[in-house]
This record gives sequence, C-alpha cells and structure tokens, in this order.
Amino acid sequence: MIPRHLLTTAAAALALGAWATAANAAGKWDGADDLPTNPLACEAGGAAEVAAKPYDGGQPTNPPDLAGKEITIVDVPKLIGIGYFNATSKGIQDAAKELGNVKAKTDGPTEAKIDEQIKFIDNYITSGVNGILFAANDPVAIAPVLKKALSKGIHVIGYDANSTPDAREWFVNQAEFNGIAKAMIDSMSKEAGDDAAFAIVTSTFTTPNQARWIAEMEAYAAKCHPKMQWLETVEAQEDNNLSFNQATTLINKHGDKLKGIFGMTSVATPASAEAVTKAGQCGKIAVVGLATPNAMKPYVHSDCVKSVVLWNPIDLGYAATYVMRAVADGKLKPGDKSVEAGHLGKLNVVNGSEILLGAPFIFSKDNIDKFDF
Amino acid sequence: MSLASAALTHRMPRWLVRHETILAIILIVALIGLGALNDKFLTVDNLLNQGRLMTEIGLIALPMTFVIVTGGIDLSVGAIVGLSAIMLGYSWKNFGFPLPLAIVFALVVGGVAGFVNGLVITRVKVPPLIMTIATLALYRGLAEGISQARSVRGYPEWFYVLGQGSIFGVPTQLLILILLIVVAGVALDRTTFGRALYAIGANETAARFSALNVDRTKLIVYTLSGLASGLAAIVLVSRVTTTRMDMGMGYELDVIAAVVLGGTSIFGGSGTIWGTVIGLVMIQLLKNGLALTGVKGDATIVVIGLALILSVLIASSLQGRRE
Repeated sequence: MIPRHLLTTAAAALALGAWATAANAAGKWDGADDLPTNPLACEAGGAAEVAAKPYDGGQPTNPPDLAGKEITIVDVPKLIGIGYFNATSKGIQDAAKELGNVKAKTDGPTEAKIDEQIKFIDNYITSGVNGILFAANDPVAIAPVLKKALSKGIHVIGYDANSTPDAREWFVNQAEFNGIAKAMIDSMSKEAGDDAAFAIVTSTFTTPNQARWIAEMEAYAAKCHPKMQWLETVEAQEDNNLSFNQATTLINKHGDKLKGIFGMTSVATPASAEAVTKAGQCGKIAVVGLATPNAMKPYVHSDCVKSVVLWNPIDLGYAATYVMRAVADGKLKPGDKSVEAGHLGKLNVVNGSEILLGAPFIFSKDNIDKFDF
Repeated sequence: MSLASAALTHRMPRWLVRHETILAIILIVALIGLGALNDKFLTVDNLLNQGRLMTEIGLIALPMTFVIVTGGIDLSVGAIVGLSAIMLGYSWKNFGFPLPLAIVFALVVGGVAGFVNGLVITRVKVPPLIMTIATLALYRGLAEGISQARSVRGYPEWFYVLGQGSIFGVPTQLLILILLIVVAGVALDRTTFGRALYAIGANETAARFSALNVDRTKLIVYTLSGLASGLAAIVLVSRVTTTRMDMGMGYELDVIAAVVLGGTSIFGGSGTIWGTVIGLVMIQLLKNGLALTGVKGDATIVVIGLALILSVLIASSLQGRRE
C-alpha cells in the first residue's frame, strides 16, 4: 500500500496551487483540532480552573414515565468487534444484570463509519427502544439522528465519544481531555527526558477524541515542557498492520533523533511497542500511549513500555448504564451535581451535562497484572 | 436449449422472465415476509425514512447504470463525494462564497472530476477500471489535503431542508431522486443517447463504424457520474450537517452492487434504470427489515450477501431458460 502521506503530497502538488497554499497557510497539520485548549497546572495533581457551567444537554419530548419499570436500551458504539468496545459492552451488561430492570443489547457497524452508525441508530428509533447509548464517530454528524430520538421521547446518553451537547441528555466522560494529555506528556518527559523529540501515531486526523487529546497535549507540552520537540503525527486508522508500518517508518526516518512515540489508540500503542521491539530500540525509544492492559502486558513485562495510560472501559459502560437508569427513574435531572453509579459510588457532573468517570489511570509493571481486559 | 424448457418459456409471457420482474417478485415476497415478522417495518414513516437514507447511493447509481451499460466502470464516485463535500464546506468557509454559490461550486467540482475521468479514458485509452482506481486515491487525497482533515460545520438552517426536510410529507431528497429516476429512465430507454449507450456496450467497434460519437458519449456519462456524486455530496452534507473528508468512503461498492443486482451486465450492453431502482430498494429494505426484526449488524451483512447471491442465481437460471 502506498503510504497515505505520499498520496496526499502528490495530490496536494496536483491541486491548483492557490487552494493548497491557502490551506497550508491556515495552520500546521498535526492531527489536532481547532477547539480552545485548557491545559492543567504543571505540578502533580494540578487542576485547571473549572467555571461552573449551566446544564447544556437536550431533553426528550414527552418521555413516558419509566420510573422503576423495565427499560430496553441499545448501545451503538463506534464499531463492534474490538477489545475496547467489547469491554464497554461487558460493563453495560454487568450493570444491567445488577440493576435487574434493564434489558441491554450492543449493536453497531463493523467499521467505524459515521454513515453506518446513523443508520443503526435510525433503525433502533423505528423499532422503539426506551434508551440509546452511543459513542459517536462524528460529534456533529450524529446530532440530527440523536435529536430525532429525543423528539420521540427516547432517552439518549453518550459515552466515550461525545456529540454536540444539545443532541443528548448526558455524556459519561471517561477522563477529561486535559487530564489524559497531562498524564501522557508527563510520562513521556519522565521516561525520555524533558527535551525529547517525539512523534505520534494516531487513528485519523478527523477522529474527535484523538484530535482533542493531541490539541491538549500540544498546549500542555508548550506550557510545562517547552523543550520537548514535536516531530510529526502520522495516521494509521485503527489498523494493526498499518500502525506497525507507520511506527517502523518513523523509527527509520528519524533515527537517533526520535526519543519517544505516542500511541493515540488501543491499536497504535501495542503496534508501536512491537515496532520498537523489532527494531531493537527498547530503552532508547520510549513508548507511551493509550491502550488496554492485555495488549500491553508483553511489552510492559519486557520493560519496553513503562506507562500505559487509560481508564477502565468496563467501568465506563457500567457508569453509562447507571446514568441511563437514573435518568429514566427521574433521579438525575438537569442542574444536579452528582449521580450514584453502583460500585463506582458518586460521580460528579462537570461541564454542564457531563459525568466524569475519574482521573486517568496509569498501568505500569506493578499493577498491570491486576487487570484483565 | 432443451425441449422441455423451450415449451415452458413458450407458455410464459416474455416480460415475466425478465430479470427485473423476477427481482421485483423476490422483493415483494421478502417485504411481505419481513412485514409479517415486524409491525414497524411496513409503515409509511419507516419506508419514507429508508427512502431518505438511500438517496445518496441512488443518485449515483443512475449514471453508474449508464457507465456500466457502456461496458465501463467508475470506482471514483465515493472519492468524488468526499471531494465535493469538502469543496462545499471549504469554499463556503475559506473562500467566503455565499452558500448557494458554494453548492453550485461543489457540483462543478464533481462534474469536473468526472470529466477528467472521461477525458483520460477516451483520449489516453486507459481502461476505466485503472483510471478510476487512480482517481479514487487522487480525489480522496485531494479532499484530505485541502481540508487538512478538518470538518466544516454550522451551516444555516435553510440548507438542512434538502437533507432533513420534507415536502408534502416526503423527504426532500427523495423527490429529487424520483425526478432523476424518471429522467434517467427516459434517457436510457427512449432517446438516441440511450440507444448509443447500449450500442457502445454491446460492440464498441461496431458502434464506431456506425458513425456514433463513442468518445463524446463516454465523456458525457463519466461527467454525469461525477455530477451525480457532487449532488449526492450536497444531500449528504445537508443530512448530517457537517463535511468530513472520509464522506462517501466505500460508496462505489454499494452503488455497483445495486446496479449489478438490478440486472445490468457488468460486461456492458444491457441493463435498465428500472432494474437498478429495484436493486437499490432491495438492498436498503432488506438491511432495514432485518435490523428491525432484531438481526444484529454483523449477521445482517451475511444474510444480505446470501440473499444477493440467491436472487442473482434465481434470476440468471430463469434467464438461461429464456435464451
């Protein structure tokens, strides 16, 4: 396969000069988005100023009274059949079993395509469910179909990847973007040095979470580790082979200059660790990234990877289901400050209509064997 | 041909053994079956909504029928959707075009992209398969390069009428599709242009010797294919309220599946718009009906695949008897 950036370069060269120059003048191409950033304070445990925000979610039109009654909910993740969403789905089933009055099912596209995801949600609206849980492939494109669900009295709760706020009632936020960014950059600076040159392997430049994290990482690095050097960001879809190839290309291309690789997806991180291992660069090139513990255990045990940043996706699905139940029961209303979520205890409302799962979790050699997902 | 089957086809009216008729019968049987299994399926609301969801594929399937009838193929349609969508957002936001002008511009971009395909195919004699695989990569790359993979959002409300609104209860874009189905159907079946397409697909050399302007006709069908992809892009952007560079990815396969299922020969020379429409409706409603009946997404794909093979088998075996 021809590397994507080559294709793009060829394409850009062929494009009428005016367009390309205008586009390139607009900003550098780093996989970050345009939204404002809010970097955390540099010292450990530092928190950013959070201004209290009024509730900004949407509300269903004339929802039926479901308090205490059995509800049927469907979970439509970005795609099905990958470890991460299998884990959120398990959390949803765990919570459904624990609650006893929730019937939950996970269904979605086999590829992370927004067009397909919209059709799935549309079909479930027609078939008549009480609630929809979703993880959006595109925050804006998914909004019309979610608003349609709200207009039919269906409860809509997001998790993992948000939509525009007014298209759902609540969003369960696994970790705030600036929290993840801080954990990533701090880990890298600790392992590779405060002046390390690093590269990023991401999914695609349009994937909202990844773009947000990269933007926050950029802001936090500029604020707290200004000597760190950003080499480039490469796209690898969420494809194992492509991620490995992209990471190997980075290692060959930048040589000794490259001190660290960030993996932005649960696929890119183990693939990057594998590429570093195969290249015999363990200890010379640090790999820090978002990944599930099972995929990273071999590299953590061989000391090739020291920090894996993530939250617990099982808890994420579990919390989303508890939030859905609380909303259906009328126990979580706009303006509330917290919600009870089973064994997770009390979760706080942030940013108006988001429910924060907690601080990001760093898996290391000491704790990774305690987790199995 | 055996004596028995000759006797059989003799007794059956000719229109009954046409591929399209058989397909339509299969479709109706499937609809009744799915309707019996699920009371949400055969409702006006659901069927109109499915019409809305299939419009983008349908718009492109019309000129794709023309292209395949001439013995060609256009694999770049999905990439043209992406490029046109990006140019709609980009020209509106970055060039400061008023939105109506940006819409026209997106159409023009689609048309030009198709025209380039046609030009190279007819002038340089590159096989359509190879040329459009190349432009599939090229147009998608352009979309990514120009947009820097960023989305353009926040269009004015009036623009959403096209993709989300209704006129007399019928989704706006479905009306456009129906109108274009009629136009394309008449053009293929009742005009010299349509006759020329069949002639080219059946025997291109013979068509040239019959003084048909083969190159100009091909140039027109590839340009139409690009224009329809541009139109599909505008409808899609209006439906999902944002532009993304990966829009339309994989559309080429859905479009070609609908056309070929509808009985258009992939080798050219035969096919109808009526067949394409049945193929299109069949795939969309099967997917929808299965989903509503509780079949999960991954199983649906398998069932669809089997259903497609089955209907093609039934149709071609009956067609074999006719010949």
